[in-house]
Amino acid sequence: MNKPEIMLLCASSRRKGTSAMLLERIRLVTGGEVIFLPQKGSLNEVILAMQQAAAIVISGPCYINTYPARLIELLEAASLSGGFSGQKLYGIINGGMPYVHTHRHGLACLRLFAEQNHLSWQGGFVLGGGAMLDGKPLEKHMNRKKIVPAFDLFIRHIAEGSPSPDSLYEQAQIPPGHIMTRVFAKLLTFMVVRRIKKHGHDPDAPNWYLRKKE
Amino acid sequence: MIVIISDESSGKLGVALKEAAGRAGAQVVHFAANTLHIKPCAACGSCSGKTYGRCVIRDDMQQVLPKIAGCRALVLVSAVVFGGVSHHIKKVMDRMAAVGDPRYQVSGGELVKGMSGQGMSYYMVGTGDKLGETERSAFLFLHEENRNIMNTRGKAFLLHSSPDQAVIDNIAQEIAHE
Repeated sequence: MNKPEIMLLCASSRRKGTSAMLLERIRLVTGGEVIFLPQKGSLNEVILAMQQAAAIVISGPCYINTYPARLIELLEAASLSGGFSGQKLYGIINGGMPYVHTHRHGLACLRLFAEQNHLSWQGGFVLGGGAMLDGKPLEKHMNRKKIVPAFDLFIRHIAEGSPSPDSLYEQAQIPPGHIMTRVFAKLLTFMVVRRIKKHGHDPDAPNWYLRKKE
Repeated sequence: MIVIISDESSGKLGVALKEAAGRAGAQVVHFAANTLHIKPCAACGSCSGKTYGRCVIRDDMQQVLPKIAGCRALVLVSAVVFGGVSHHIKKVMDRMAAVGDPRYQVSGGELVKGMSGQGMSYYMVGTGDKLGETERSAFLFLHEENRNIMNTRGKAFLLHSSPDQAVIDNIAQEIAHE
């Protein structure tokens, strides 16, 4: 029986979010199947699929500066299980903040997992401002002129099984300048406060868990 | 109050730190994250909207979140796992958005957020034997990025799996008297 060439693993629970969208974009070129990481229950089937694939691409959101806990749990369980033999591993992490450094720990984590478990780390892609896409095509990204060709080149590396350098995503992302940063802070805060007030809450009130005792 | 949340599945350092911080005169609350039933964050956004400041998932985090909201220092203790924390600790971190401030500020020329109320100091204690330089750097980097985005102060420590009592006492003193 032929082993599946490529495994596309989505670490987000959202079927139509940015993490899944990026994998679907890859799948159109490489083929393979997008698998969603189950958010509860056994991880054995996912680990088996990882062991049987020739290449693995993991795409996930950035929660508190790295991948979510469930993906960490998968990596821990996979590490205990063992059974890897040189599978190529690529990673994608996307987060709301428009800075590469805010999210790149996720790729460092995957690289260490690969090195400690006989997989072959091939590189990854950090996408800042990804949460704002909310699953819409990459062509809607605010930095689309650089991001789209860079990500498509990353896909080509995956299709060819070649390493993808960090410079690919680093040069594609331009953090906002000083003035735009202040504009974004005010605009995003305005939107957040409006949503909080719309639900009848006071954004300046002490946290709910502190008021609960009162 | 100091809140210590540890993964005790690979050692009892959380308990040891709690006792040391208590001897240093601090009021301390300790949770062993590996014994708690904590579901993953669902990224529903309710804590920054419909139920502002409150997580809607009913599990043991409802005991933990009030303590984090009211603490002056949060200490996360974990074996170093692929340059980060274990999934038990990461589950706690992922659910902390409810006690964060969803508004944006500018610090060091970048967008950051913050913690609700007066904020807190944030510490991470990682343990491991024979950690390579890449893994040590990744752990320290994770803490630095956490601190940056929370717009708070604090420090990360890297220790052997079974640190000397003197090392534990020093860390406890530093956190208690920060």
